[in-house]
Amino acid sequence: MSKKVENLRDRNHFDTTEEIPKGQFADIVPLSQRAYLEITGSKERDGIFELGEREAVIGRSEECDIQLGAQNVSRRHAAVLFRQEEYLIEDLGSTNGVLVNGIKVVKCVLRNNDQIDIGGVKLVFNEDKRLHKK
Amino acid sequence: MSSPLEQKMLVTFWGTRGSISTPGRTTEKYGGNTPCVTIENQGTRVILDAGTGIRNLGIELVREVESRKQPLQIHLFLSHTHWDHIQGLPFFLPAYQKDTKLTIYGSPKKESFLASVLKHQMDYDYFPVSMSALTANIHIQEMSGKSIHLGPFTIDWEEQVFHPGGSVRYRFSAHGKKVVYATDVELDLVFGKDNRTKEKEAAARAYLRFVHGVDLLIADGMFSEEGYPGRVGWGHASIPAVIEAAAKAEVKQLAVFHHDPQNSDKYLDDLWAKYRSRYLAGPQKMDLFWAREGLTLAV
Repeated sequence: MSKKVENLRDRNHFDTTEEIPKGQFADIVPLSQRAYLEITGSKERDGIFELGEREAVIGRSEECDIQLGAQNVSRRHAAVLFRQEEYLIEDLGSTNGVLVNGIKVVKCVLRNNDQIDIGGVKLVFNEDKRLHKK
Repeated sequence: MSSPLEQKMLVTFWGTRGSISTPGRTTEKYGGNTPCVTIENQGTRVILDAGTGIRNLGIELVREVESRKQPLQIHLFLSHTHWDHIQGLPFFLPAYQKDTKLTIYGSPKKESFLASVLKHQMDYDYFPVSMSALTANIHIQEMSGKSIHLGPFTIDWEEQVFHPGGSVRYRFSAHGKKVVYATDVELDLVFGKDNRTKEKEAAARAYLRFVHGVDLLIADGMFSEEGYPGRVGWGHASIPAVIEAAAKAEVKQLAVFHHDPQNSDKYLDDLWAKYRSRYLAGPQKMDLFWAREGLTLAV
């Protein structure tokens, strides 16, 4: 038996516990859903892009939300959309296509650690869902 | 001028799991819904199987109708009527819309007629809503003849015998490309070296002829190499058996489908890494992936 448990018993700790009213267990705390695209293993500058609930266009054009300078990236290459609480990537008619885990896709719901290839630039998708107080 | 995608078949996976739906954190990548796939081109959409994945498809289609204000014309092809391939039908929202025109195609070889199998699934003992509550204009058609023509698609079909009760495989051709959907068949028995019979030889020849050179083969690869020996005769293929058959038939891209409910995302990822590197390095260069829910690709 560990020392910590002995101490608790010595102090008769549990006899003094008071019942918590049930309503206090569940604060109404909104769930925030965030996702990230991280550039890995390419000549492109390193970077982590946070994705919100708004569409994020990826491409070579300066107007894109996520700008990638590599030559094989189309001007407007792909978009990441947030639909029904999920992120998905869609090819916008690019020359070299969008690959998810090595498969050329038109559209694909994204899951943690999916590896995306946009014109030779490698990105990894990750999301988290956490409670936050406003 | 038509866009490049107009000349392509768009294939979307709505359910990829075999036997029973498997919701949960460990299956969210490849998905927990049972079989349902769509193939779409130039406004014609066909649905393959009505497993639980068809529920999400139905929600999507109803949204589409609301925005386009055009009634749906749906063609549903069933591989067979085992639960995992039909149990989503009572939850398919467009079937409850009176403007929907739904044609359900299936094997003419069922012992009881296709219509009565689908109706019995919605008997009061199993489900509170009867099939008569489906207000869509539903036509159930047992296939006859060799080919079916729908919009840009030519659809060929064949019966598969190495599955309890049988199943049907389909081949969709459009714009010079071909997609085959061939699930629920035990290729280990069809192609295995032991106990060769005339029936097996004929089945092997027919399979190779049907899938030869196709651009995408969506095929049952339910069991791992290690898991298969305890499941001989269950009517499903091991992953090595389907890969070898596809490579032999010079298939260009293989989607391994009908995942074992026991197989987690991590397990499937490990298997994919093992087999993909082997085949990408091989002389055929067949592309290989594990079908996953929410994936659309162009063929």
